Amino acid sequence: MPELKVKGVTIVETFAEAFPMVGTRVIITAPTAEWAMISARTMTGFATSVIACGAEGGIERSLSKSETPDRRPGVAVLLFTMDVNMLQTQLRNRVGQCVLTSPGSACYAGLDGEKKLKLGASLRFFGDGWQMSKVIGGRRYWRIPVMGGEFVCEDKTGLTTKAVGGGNLLVVGKSHKAVLDACTRAVKAMADVPDVITPFPGGIVRSGSKVGSKYAGQIASTNHAYAPGLKWHQDSELPPTAEAVLEIVIDGLTADAIHDAMHAGIHAIAKGGSRDGITHITAGNYGGNLGPHHFHLKEIVG
Amino acid sequence: MSALSFELKRRTEQRLDLSSLVPSRLDGLNRKQIESLSIATTRQALTVGDAFKVKGKDVEQLHFVGTDDRCDKIGAKLSGGEIVIDGDAGLLLGAQMKSGKISVDGSAGVSVGASMSGGGISVRRDVGDQAGGVAFGETFGMKGGFISIGGDAGALVGERLRRGLIVVGGKAGDYAGGRMVAGTILLRGGAGRHAGYGNRRGSLIFGDKPRHLMPTYVDSGVMEFDYLRLLETWLREQGMRIRLGGRARRLMGDMAVLGKGEMLILE
Repeated sequence: MPELKVKGVTIVETFAEAFPMVGTRVIITAPTAEWAMISARTMTGFATSVIACGAEGGIERSLSKSETPDRRPGVAVLLFTMDVNMLQTQLRNRVGQCVLTSPGSACYAGLDGEKKLKLGASLRFFGDGWQMSKVIGGRRYWRIPVMGGEFVCEDKTGLTTKAVGGGNLLVVGKSHKAVLDACTRAVKAMADVPDVITPFPGGIVRSGSKVGSKYAGQIASTNHAYAPGLKWHQDSELPPTAEAVLEIVIDGLTADAIHDAMHAGIHAIAKGGSRDGITHITAGNYGGNLGPHHFHLKEIVG
Repeated sequence: MSALSFELKRRTEQRLDLSSLVPSRLDGLNRKQIESLSIATTRQALTVGDAFKVKGKDVEQLHFVGTDDRCDKIGAKLSGGEIVIDGDAGLLLGAQMKSGKISVDGSAGVSVGASMSGGGISVRRDVGDQAGGVAFGETFGMKGGFISIGGDAGALVGERLRRGLIVVGGKAGDYAGGRMVAGTILLRGGAGRHAGYGNRRGSLIFGDKPRHLMPTYVDSGVMEFDYLRLLETWLREQGMRIRLGGRARRLMGDMAVLGKGEMLILE
């Protein structure tokens, strides 16, 4: 079978194996775009992986004044977990500690849907009896008096159980710089795709993991098959020229959104062609038996 | 399908009870059956056919033409559909309605939208007393929905209001928001005396500083309210040309009762 190449970069015939997640979106607004972003960044800090963060979260995009409910600059944030209870806890804690506390912020539902998560419905108790509920156009908002004025928070936000986590691309190249540049381009391209986030630092993971370890109690450990320093080992999947491998992990509200993000990512990585030092684009999976979503790179490129 | 329309033939000697002319009651009736519905309020018999020229078919879209202040209970207990009134409306317009839309080109009588729980009423000109107030047999006033009044409102607008929004474009009478429990009344053209009397948790929003302030309201000074921005956005989406801004003076009251209500006086 002929190898599939995009501009000289080999697209390995494999697939990204992804898992069902539950997800939600909230909209954070503030007096300035800068403060909306500060609040959103704080809320999605330490939200790279459910392995130890409780949730995976990120900034979906900035919103202009005309797109937000209160006509102030805003940011759309996505948050994902493995089950609804955890999503509820994480949402309450993160909005309570990072958005409520942020100067001039307000927080609104970003997703409709039959199933709901409590937002202001639990944060209202911070008002200690001074909170006020207001229904505008059928949506309930809470007004909580705080030192900075008033924190406005919508009562509930929607959730989806159709979210998908763990869409990924592994980028193999001849130098760390080449791989980092390509991945940075890819994350930027994916940022334009709606309904997805790349939860890791700057969207990129440098320490992809495998399930389990030789040590008891260590649930995840280094993906040694892709560590360039262990190329000598029989498990290695890397070509002799590989000097670095970086991964981009994608969480999305739908499987289609992940598909679109991977498409945008692959083409952004291969943009400069193999001359830029990128040799392979591959993806992580567990043999196909663990996750129900398989994103085949060959289909995505086509 | 064309709207089902009722054109008033002449001013009647008695008041008319038009509460039966709502989509849920008219659905499935033919022209003859509709014309034989009783709308009398006295011992003198009177049917729809006696007072109105009936045209059209679509029961989800009702059109009243040439109605006057004796045409009572139009759209009462409405639960969906749209009613357009080319003329005036009598008392209890849209009282206890649950959903749907009513618009009046002229004025309406007392108790517009009394104890309504949803939907929207818009009256282009004036309304009588107790708009959004308490319907007969109810303990609360309006419980949800939206009333927009283009002109002036009588006394006790939003009496015992529990939820929902009333916007008065002109001037409101005395006791605006009297005994209101919660909900919001936006008074763009000011109000008479004793506004917010007995207000528990509701919001009265004034376009200008009111001339009479109850002594049982306590000043909290001026601050920013994102809530006003939300409200402004929604009102604009409803097609209202309105600017609330984000700053207002907040007075809390009525301290003679619960005291968790507020007056927001726009800056």
